[in-house]
Amino acid sequence: MTEVDPIRLEVIRNALVAASEEMNISIWRTARSTVVRETLDYSTAIFDGSGNAVAQSTRIPVHLNSMSVCLEEIVTNWIPLSEWNEGDVVLTNDPYAGGQHLPDFVAYKPIYRDGKRVAISATIVHHVDIGGGAPGSYFAGAQEVYQEGLRLPPIKLVDGGRMNASILAVIRRNSREPEKIGGDIAAQLAALDVGARAILRLVDRYGIAVVQAAMAAVLDQSEVAMRSAISAIPDGTYTFEDFVDDDGQEAIGIKIRASVTIEGDKALIDLSGSSPQVPGPVNCTVNMAKSGVYCALLMAAGGGVMANTGAYRPIEIIAQEGTVVSARSPAPVANRMATGHRIVTTVLGALAIANPEAIPAAYYGVSYVAALSAPDASGERRVYFEIEVGGWGGHPESDGANGFSAGFHNLANSPLEMCEALFPVVFTEYGLIPNSGGDGEYRGGLGLAREWRLEADWGVLSGNFDRFRFPPYGLNGGKPGAPGRFMLTRDGNTKQLPSKISGVQLKRGDKVRLDTSGGGGWGDPAQRDPEARLADQRAGYVS
Amino acid sequence: MAVSSRPIRIAVDIGGTFTDIEVYDSRTGSTFAHKTPTTPDDPSRGLGIGLQEVANLCDFNLADIGLLLHGTTIATNAVLERKLPKGAMITTKGFEDVLEIGRHMRQELYSLKAEPRSLLIPRENRFGIVERIRYDGTVETPIEKAALAELAKKLAGKGVEAIAIAFLNSYANPIHEQEALEVLAKEIPTVAISASHEVSPEIREFERFSTTVLNALLKPVVSRYLEQVEGRLQAIGVSASLYLVQSNGGVARPVEAARLPAKLLLSGPAGGAMAMANLSELHGVSNLVGIDMGGTSADIAVVAEGSIGQTPEGNIDGLPVRLPMIEIRTIGAGGGSIARLQGKGLRVGPESAGANPGPVCYGRGGVEPAVTDANVALARIDAPSFLGGAMQLNASDALHAINERVATPLGLPSEAAAAGILEVADARMADAIRLSLFEKGADPSDFVLAPFGGAGGLHATALADALNIGCIIFPSNASTLSARGILGADLRHDLARSRRLKANNGGEADALTALAEMASDLRKEAEDALVRDGVSEADRLYEFSADMRYLGQAYELGVHWGNIQITEQTVRDLVEKFHAEHLRRFAHADERDTVEVATLRLAAIGKMPRPQISGLHGAAPDRPAIRGSRRVWFENAWINAPVYSREHLEIGSRITGPCIVEEAFTTLVIGNGWKAQMKAGGDLVAVKGEVND
Repeated sequence: MTEVDPIRLEVIRNALVAASEEMNISIWRTARSTVVRETLDYSTAIFDGSGNAVAQSTRIPVHLNSMSVCLEEIVTNWIPLSEWNEGDVVLTNDPYAGGQHLPDFVAYKPIYRDGKRVAISATIVHHVDIGGGAPGSYFAGAQEVYQEGLRLPPIKLVDGGRMNASILAVIRRNSREPEKIGGDIAAQLAALDVGARAILRLVDRYGIAVVQAAMAAVLDQSEVAMRSAISAIPDGTYTFEDFVDDDGQEAIGIKIRASVTIEGDKALIDLSGSSPQVPGPVNCTVNMAKSGVYCALLMAAGGGVMANTGAYRPIEIIAQEGTVVSARSPAPVANRMATGHRIVTTVLGALAIANPEAIPAAYYGVSYVAALSAPDASGERRVYFEIEVGGWGGHPESDGANGFSAGFHNLANSPLEMCEALFPVVFTEYGLIPNSGGDGEYRGGLGLAREWRLEADWGVLSGNFDRFRFPPYGLNGGKPGAPGRFMLTRDGNTKQLPSKISGVQLKRGDKVRLDTSGGGGWGDPAQRDPEARLADQRAGYVS
Repeated sequence: MAVSSRPIRIAVDIGGTFTDIEVYDSRTGSTFAHKTPTTPDDPSRGLGIGLQEVANLCDFNLADIGLLLHGTTIATNAVLERKLPKGAMITTKGFEDVLEIGRHMRQELYSLKAEPRSLLIPRENRFGIVERIRYDGTVETPIEKAALAELAKKLAGKGVEAIAIAFLNSYANPIHEQEALEVLAKEIPTVAISASHEVSPEIREFERFSTTVLNALLKPVVSRYLEQVEGRLQAIGVSASLYLVQSNGGVARPVEAARLPAKLLLSGPAGGAMAMANLSELHGVSNLVGIDMGGTSADIAVVAEGSIGQTPEGNIDGLPVRLPMIEIRTIGAGGGSIARLQGKGLRVGPESAGANPGPVCYGRGGVEPAVTDANVALARIDAPSFLGGAMQLNASDALHAINERVATPLGLPSEAAAAGILEVADARMADAIRLSLFEKGADPSDFVLAPFGGAGGLHATALADALNIGCIIFPSNASTLSARGILGADLRHDLARSRRLKANNGGEADALTALAEMASDLRKEAEDALVRDGVSEADRLYEFSADMRYLGQAYELGVHWGNIQITEQTVRDLVEKFHAEHLRRFAHADERDTVEVATLRLAAIGKMPRPQISGLHGAAPDRPAIRGSRRVWFENAWINAPVYSREHLEIGSRITGPCIVEEAFTTLVIGNGWKAQMKAGGDLVAVKGEVND
């Protein structure tokens, strides 16, 4: 095997990260939908020729840490690497074939030089609508994945350089937003090419053997770093439980249980004891659960480990099939993020037992996704889609951040003025919620309130939330954060809506309000610095 | 322009360490560059001293200075160091936290502690007023003026020195902000007030609010500074017209700068970028990428197809600034960037030793090897003659640190370790340059590289090699280049109106009416501004552009329109231009799609007389250009490399890499395979491979 010197290694490592950033810019530049361009719900990565994730852009943890598991599933059970050829693009959105939920399309492009596969570029993009029982493909009433939209098993969307136009036509025909999904797929494909060009540039400069050796060394670096981070955690088995509110249908209090066993430089995360899979769409497939575990361990490692397949090597995961963390087909999965976030907070909770002075209390722990379908001023039907966040947990050294992306996802909000210009809504509030952060020596960050009024004759609303019943936990005596709420006000009467709902018929003038959770507090509230309490009062963070 | 009969024009660029002054004498066309220490407690003092120095050195009277163009980091530093007055914000009730929430996305994915977020006005000083404008500019809820008057009194009692007024959708209708301004001006006339429609009348509330808050807080800071400068100038007998360099690459009168100080936030690097534009024109190269590498960071500016890259938005310390400005990408790579081992890899930067303690070779207590140490260890920088001998560098300490912390742990010879540090630093810069160009849909190999700043010349040929760039221009006076760039600046006002208009597919008639109305407003506003500036009609230049998108797209694309009249034909042209630009930048376009105009922009430029600079860099014939030779590490070996003195290189003389060229404040390394020639005007142009004989 070719050796790569430490200097060349660093040069190539930088270039691989830059390649994934180039892909990232490319998607941002060319995408069409708001969900991609304003909320930035997509990710990009570079894999080596045998399918190990090597370098990623700075985007969304849930995406980034799932792309390698997805690829593994594809090449093991669907299209073996031996059948991949130059000019192919392999794509899937099938949760039961490596995907997560139907709106997320994962696409891979093998990159060849002299007939040899040297790398694979990869993108994952959340598409605005892929059909199914509710706008945005978030159908809270789904009991089977078949009700959630169009499912594409791993296929060659591009085969030897030739686009399969028929599949593209099927996809467009099944979406409520055909123009946007078409545009966003084009953006996704363009980014794969950009990644390929960047890799080939490296190959031309350094040769295949050196680039491959460097990729292997980058993986080894991450493995070493992750092993050393795990070694710093005391040996032992630590068990923690946290809960998803419900599945929006029958199941209430869905348990996530994690037993984390640290043995030297290895970690075993056993999710056995988590609830059986549920009728409603909060199930995770196993690849999603793995992504959550990897994310939690990368966080516990302190952020210094470059996330890739090397970092995953010392981590073993047990997720029993038929449970909510490894659902069997055809369980619905659209709102799998509620459970995914909960896997992250549960694993972190277990690690906090091992290392109480290092791990913060729970963050809000859910992707607050709401979608509204309503006619715009010209009578054309529009899907307004928003993703919100809440407060961070109090940290052993500082208060949690207010209203800021945390943990498993990472998303920007949509500007209110842009939403008002494009959709028939008028915002009546967007702000922090006083007293929503859990009390503690270090307070949890505050949740957010986002409230709007419908300015159209009709609208259909869906919401996919959590943490309405089981608030983000506090640690070391800290109090939990405030739970979230979803409310509808009509003719002066306000009623609470459940955390997971779709098909809510709205009338002109209806007010819809989402309160997101604050973070849990860390440490005994009696130990809180009186100065900090005064400052909280002054700012009105606490009333 | 009210052309002054006073013949001396001065450009001043005040940086953290040095105040750079460029003198231009319009009688002879000669220029003179000078450096004097910056006086951080009151930068106007150093400015005064510097002016007196150049007057003595060049033998002119201070009263002969007609124009004084000033680039300043006063606004930038006030924000970075948080030396800002106590401020308050008044906004739409229910939206007081927009400023704090921001766009709520993080940069560090796996950190357990949230990265710090900048927040300039704490929650207790943000106040909501009942009022509401809709997206189309209609009033939904009139503003509660009585509450406003009460609030004004309360703010006066709190000792607030600056107030930002920013309401939702004020870009579509500023009436409520105007009413609030009126009330506040009456109630608390001494407080600095900024309203968002005056600062950045564009859609997207957080970005507009952030820009307005910065502007409000900077008003007292910049006003105070300008008073100091004007006082100082008066005291030493300078009666020149003073102009301030803005982030957009144009200059503004002090009264304008005081009104819109947020426009000064990226004034610092703008000078360098303007110099790049001059260089591109002078050498007739339309694509040029400039890299300004100093101690802690490198700024990248791009001239593409003859024009300097502009962006509608930048940011400072994580705070968005929604104002047109020269586009600059900054990365943490400079002479002070520290080399550290991480596992088996060698990382360089972004951590920097800065100026204090600085690299190990500075002998100020630095222990971790930095990029400058590697340059010294390989004798690319000559330790005894650094900064013309003004500062002694310790080469053996640099070598020792590299050995101890890099070479030995990696099992490498010390030269290979030092060269490795440079290679990694160069790779990071090359990656950043490639991304800067990629964002524009451009390819590095179509560009010429222009290095400047204290460290640019040391790395240029290596960077060019990494980027497949075949030509480098080493500008003369690289260390005072920003001041030179400022010397040719014009007055510039960037004005904008945001309104969503369908420009095709049936929207043409409405768009025509609305655009004509907006354009006439903008032109009137622009003309008034240029008249106030004293610009004669012949020197006024107008450039329209439009921010456009396909219906449903979230971000706009800037489309250059030119100095047009709004007619059916020009609106059709605009739509065509949009499709073409979209295809070029984003690789797809759909002529059937509905195209929207979101913002109409007008750049109003007041032409200043162009400096007619004569070639003055003739060599002193009695001193040989070649200073000698020294052992320098190139690629894989020590070689006896020729060392040239730049100031003694005659026009037309050729040199061949590998070799070293030394200047007063910097060193150029000409790598293997490069040949360079001294051009008239003093720029050294290097070409890879075969040379044009």
